[in-house]
Amino acid sequence: MFNSTYDLIWLVLGLPLVGFLVHALFGKAIIDLLGARLGKKMVGGLAVLPIATAFAIGIGLTYQLAQSPPEARNVTLRLFDWITIKSLSVPFEVLIDPLSMTMVLIITGVGALIHLYATGYMSEERDYARFFTYLNLFIAFMLVLVLGNNLGLLFIGWEGVGLCSYLLIGFWYKDIANAKAANKAFIVNRVGDWGMTLGMFLIVAVLAGNLDRLGVKDGRWLSYDVILPNAVNVLRDHPVAATIIALLLFIGACGKSAQFPLYLWLPDAMAGPTPVSALIHAATMVTAGVFMLNRLHVLFELSPLASAVIACVGAFTALFAALIAFGQTDIKKVLAYSTVSQLGFMFIACGAGVYWAGMFHVTTHAFFKALLFLGSGAVIHAMMHDQDMRNYGRLLKYLPITGAAMIVGWLAISGISIPYVFGLAGYYSKEAILGGALAGQHAVANGTNYGLVSGWVGLGVAALTAMYMTRMTYLTFFGKQERWRELPAHGLHETHPSHESQIVHARDAHENYGRDGHATADFFYSESEMALREQLENEDHHHHLNPDHTPREVSISMWFPLVVLALLSIFGGWYLERNELFKEWISPGASPVLGEVSIHPQGIQLVWLSFAAAAGGIFAGILIYGRGLSEREGWDLSKWNPFRRAARRQFYYDDAMVGAAVGGGGIFATGLWRWFDAAVVDGMVNGVGYLAAGVGGLFRKLQTGYVRGYALLMFAGALGFLGYFVWLISRTAVGQ
Amino acid sequence: MHNSSTGFGILSLVTFLPLGAALLTLLIPEQFGKTIKAVAILSSIVSFIVSLSMLGRFQGGTFHFQMIEFVPWLKQLGVHYRMGVDGISIWLVLLTNLLMIVCTIFSVYIKHRVKAYMVSLLILQTAMLGVFLSLDMILFYTFFEASLVPMYFLIAIWGGSNRTYASIKFFLYTFSASIFMLVGMIVLAKLHESATGVLSFSIIDIQSAVANGRLWANAVQLEVLIFWAFTVAFMVKCPMFPFHTWLPDAHTEAPTAGSVILAGVLLKMGTYGFLRFCLPMFPDVVRAQVFPIMVLAVIGIVYGALVASVQPDWKRLVAYSSVAHMGFVMFGILSLTHTGMMGGAYQQLNHGISTGALFLLVGLIYERTHSRLFKDYGGLKAQMPIFAALFLIMMLSSVGLPGLNGFIGEFLAMLGGFESSASHMFGLNWWFPVIAGSGVVLAAVYLLWMFQKVFYGPITNVDVRRLRDLKLWEVSLVGVLVVFAFWGGLYPNTFLKPMEAAIGATRLMALNPVGERPSWSDLSMEIDKKGNLVQVTPRAPGGDLEHFQVERIIAPAELHFRMEVERTTAVFKEVQARR
Repeated sequence: MFNSTYDLIWLVLGLPLVGFLVHALFGKAIIDLLGARLGKKMVGGLAVLPIATAFAIGIGLTYQLAQSPPEARNVTLRLFDWITIKSLSVPFEVLIDPLSMTMVLIITGVGALIHLYATGYMSEERDYARFFTYLNLFIAFMLVLVLGNNLGLLFIGWEGVGLCSYLLIGFWYKDIANAKAANKAFIVNRVGDWGMTLGMFLIVAVLAGNLDRLGVKDGRWLSYDVILPNAVNVLRDHPVAATIIALLLFIGACGKSAQFPLYLWLPDAMAGPTPVSALIHAATMVTAGVFMLNRLHVLFELSPLASAVIACVGAFTALFAALIAFGQTDIKKVLAYSTVSQLGFMFIACGAGVYWAGMFHVTTHAFFKALLFLGSGAVIHAMMHDQDMRNYGRLLKYLPITGAAMIVGWLAISGISIPYVFGLAGYYSKEAILGGALAGQHAVANGTNYGLVSGWVGLGVAALTAMYMTRMTYLTFFGKQERWRELPAHGLHETHPSHESQIVHARDAHENYGRDGHATADFFYSESEMALREQLENEDHHHHLNPDHTPREVSISMWFPLVVLALLSIFGGWYLERNELFKEWISPGASPVLGEVSIHPQGIQLVWLSFAAAAGGIFAGILIYGRGLSEREGWDLSKWNPFRRAARRQFYYDDAMVGAAVGGGGIFATGLWRWFDAAVVDGMVNGVGYLAAGVGGLFRKLQTGYVRGYALLMFAGALGFLGYFVWLISRTAVGQ
Repeated sequence: MHNSSTGFGILSLVTFLPLGAALLTLLIPEQFGKTIKAVAILSSIVSFIVSLSMLGRFQGGTFHFQMIEFVPWLKQLGVHYRMGVDGISIWLVLLTNLLMIVCTIFSVYIKHRVKAYMVSLLILQTAMLGVFLSLDMILFYTFFEASLVPMYFLIAIWGGSNRTYASIKFFLYTFSASIFMLVGMIVLAKLHESATGVLSFSIIDIQSAVANGRLWANAVQLEVLIFWAFTVAFMVKCPMFPFHTWLPDAHTEAPTAGSVILAGVLLKMGTYGFLRFCLPMFPDVVRAQVFPIMVLAVIGIVYGALVASVQPDWKRLVAYSSVAHMGFVMFGILSLTHTGMMGGAYQQLNHGISTGALFLLVGLIYERTHSRLFKDYGGLKAQMPIFAALFLIMMLSSVGLPGLNGFIGEFLAMLGGFESSASHMFGLNWWFPVIAGSGVVLAAVYLLWMFQKVFYGPITNVDVRRLRDLKLWEVSLVGVLVVFAFWGGLYPNTFLKPMEAAIGATRLMALNPVGERPSWSDLSMEIDKKGNLVQVTPRAPGGDLEHFQVERIIAPAELHFRMEVERTTAVFKEVQARR
């Protein structure tokens, strides 16, 4: 079974899983045994090590893959048979190709950096081991998602990362708001998964239902190597079926990659610790939808209509989220909406047919968005967990390394460049996306070129992006005021609800226990144990931001990842763009359906246009926010203009959706239960019962009065009835 | 056919061992509560081991019944003691015995009338095993009804505050429905007599007469009636919407072990009966009846989930979730695709594990706090992290998270349903899988909501604040089920392989025309590796049934319904033209 170097891929998959198991089973014990300081070092090290090792192996495998000729960069390895029935076979099989290895490098590379960062960021957390348990599990699931050779494995990873996201958003579960945000994320994603599974089913139904013309023998209907060639065969002449499949799968992508109308879980997901936001909700998990579209791009290419929808949804989401970002004052919320917006760009690319550009943006976005999130985490850490930018200002002075790194991230996401000479990471990938869209060779439906439309929208959003990112950077790092010195802290707090308020002391109550008089003592803690537990919990006390606070630069475990990511954000895009390195790597040949899609629109000076967009956006931003926080965005919301107030509330979209789903659904379901289930159905049942009881009442004197008697009576009556019935039927039946 | 007595064998041992233990328990005086419990636990462990040895002897490659036992009984009536096991029933037997171990061990918490409790539990076990193993309809019916009595007492004596109402309702509801089944059985036997001249209640005999078309030849108009006589009985047992209202009351009021058994095993008698009777015995009408039953299954999935999502009571929520989950089982089975039926049959087992475990976990906490209401909980995760982790795993199995057992069954059942619907078989259409699929979303809604209510947020109840985590033995008890949840999700082939031939044959019995139907009595028929019905060289009963030489293919498997992609396009064009 193991005979080539590629088999090392099992180590890449296995190491994070081992890390997960070690943390889940022994993590807490290690910390208890070695003491908080040393124990946490040990646990943190054990979390970073497997991911970093997996990254090193990944580099080696990618290098080897790159050495082989392009047509041979496609290795399938099988571990065991997962589901095998006569009509369907889903093996546990991995596919090593440029696309999956690119994702592996992002996941393990950026993942290892963020793990390292988290060892510092979470160092005061009591549930340290639990955090890394989830984080390692996430990496394992994410790798299954990208490495699997069939939609079954993709779906394991797909829902698995959703689970980890759920657990990590709700990491500080004592605050019920965090728990609700976690639920929202999981449930909205499930809506997407509903579309996704239907899409998978339709693929199987279409392929297996046309078995006779395909000659597939082993029932591997979900494997990519079966789906892709055969889908072209069956669906080429049937755009309607192709469109339905593509759109159903896209619903799944909308859920996971936070596109309109399902984006609304992602902003709430910021309730999780900041490393989680960086790793899961910016760099890796949310790009899974883009990855899936790339993996199955043949299916999407078969339907220009679906591609048009994808491009338009992407463009609209990019615009919508960018506008919302202007109304946010929570630094993480700004980044969350910018993530939604940037994901929109990736979908514009996929809709326009330049799938590789989407992946390019996934890569560069992983660099600069992880950087921005980790930077914001450093700021939040330094500011006593206050996330409101209205309490920041002039932080560059206190946080020079973090500030410099964040400035790199800001310029990279804005897509700034020296035309024809050099650009930051975001510049090259955004340029490829807009070029592909404005070339307008795909996504044409009913005579309208939606690729072109989304390209122009995208260009406008690029300017908006530069502007709101300038707003964030200026409000945080620049200006003359140190605004936390002037205000009593009443910002949003990311974390740590206080325990004090809700706890009623157990002393008052312990005597009403043991209702049955049994020896229930072993169910409960004794008085002295209770005292110890309370003491431990009181150690968790957290300080809030106060006017005398002086922010300090974070420790090396936190700023080192920032520096690495900043370097990647500066040089990464340039390196990958050279000689079309990334494009040749991801899609070396022409696609089987679309052929070659150009990224060089004719008659449009895109280089200068995008330079103008980025520079203009930044310039406008500096003009407005260079003077610090204006009254019109201050603490008094009534002074805000109506547009910004609406943007702050996501233009009331979230309110409407959540209100309808939770409120409306609750009323409907309660009505169903109280009225239909309890009144109608059970009413009838009880009616029959009372009838029987009434009849039974006539014989009450014969009975002991026990209800059981009625049952007996029913039994006797039924037997008599039965005998008659049998006699009747057997006569007619046998008599023929 | 099987006219010589084989004597009692391993199946009888499996079935009646608990009854023997019950009789033994009766001899022990009430005050030796610990001894009574020890006997019951020991008996359930021995039962499980014996059923494992039965599994060891089981041959997965054949659809025929194995380890058949035949002991003459009431010759004039055609009723005999007939037992046998096939790929569908074997896992239900093992599930029953596994859950019984869990239940007897949990029942050390029972303090009140221990003897009567344990005797009821053990008698119940015999009755359930008998249902899955009998091959004679009267025997089946006897066990089927016999299971009601101990369950009735379990609810009525050891149940919650509303136990009287719940127990009566449970008894009358299911009892009156199975009367229809008894009528159906008698008619089947009578028809068998008129077709072949022999009065027989043997499931094998009757199915053979159905397979060669003689049984229904002279009673065509009766077939649909008798189909519904059986179906109604099993629908109530399942339970399917709108016959489900006994279930929330019974589940909620039953003591923990009762809820586990109810959800884990008793409901499966309905789906098992459906696979054993409704599909093989009524091949001429079953296609036409798929539609109405599928409608009820889909309604049940959504309805159960919606109602579950507003329950204030922990056990009641899990109970309504059973309605939704059993809807998925029926959805898969009724799709009459190989994939869907495998999924449905497998989902039965998974539901037994996951819902059984959820009831067990609720029971463990109920022993401590004596409350089932969500408002009395909150923040339990900080207090009992191990309990929370175990609960999370079983909840996720119920949600259908890939990698855990619930996913496999649900996925296959849904895929099968989708295939029939997409091919427009049996009058089904796209709406069926689309609406059923929304049940998966709703499952996340109510289960996560439940988890949030109990485990997240601050601790508001002073009693909860004093709780210790689970004891080691409790953790291992749930741990056993957790192991099966992972096993069933990561390597489902262990369970799927042995049932495949039996499911394949059942499907062909329901779908194929006369002459191409598998027959349980004809040992020269077999299902081959591709699922085709084949003629094989003659074999001796009781010997090696797994290895055979194929002589010819009687009927090809046709595992997938043909799907016309053209049709999608045509419908679309039609719609456009109309505009």
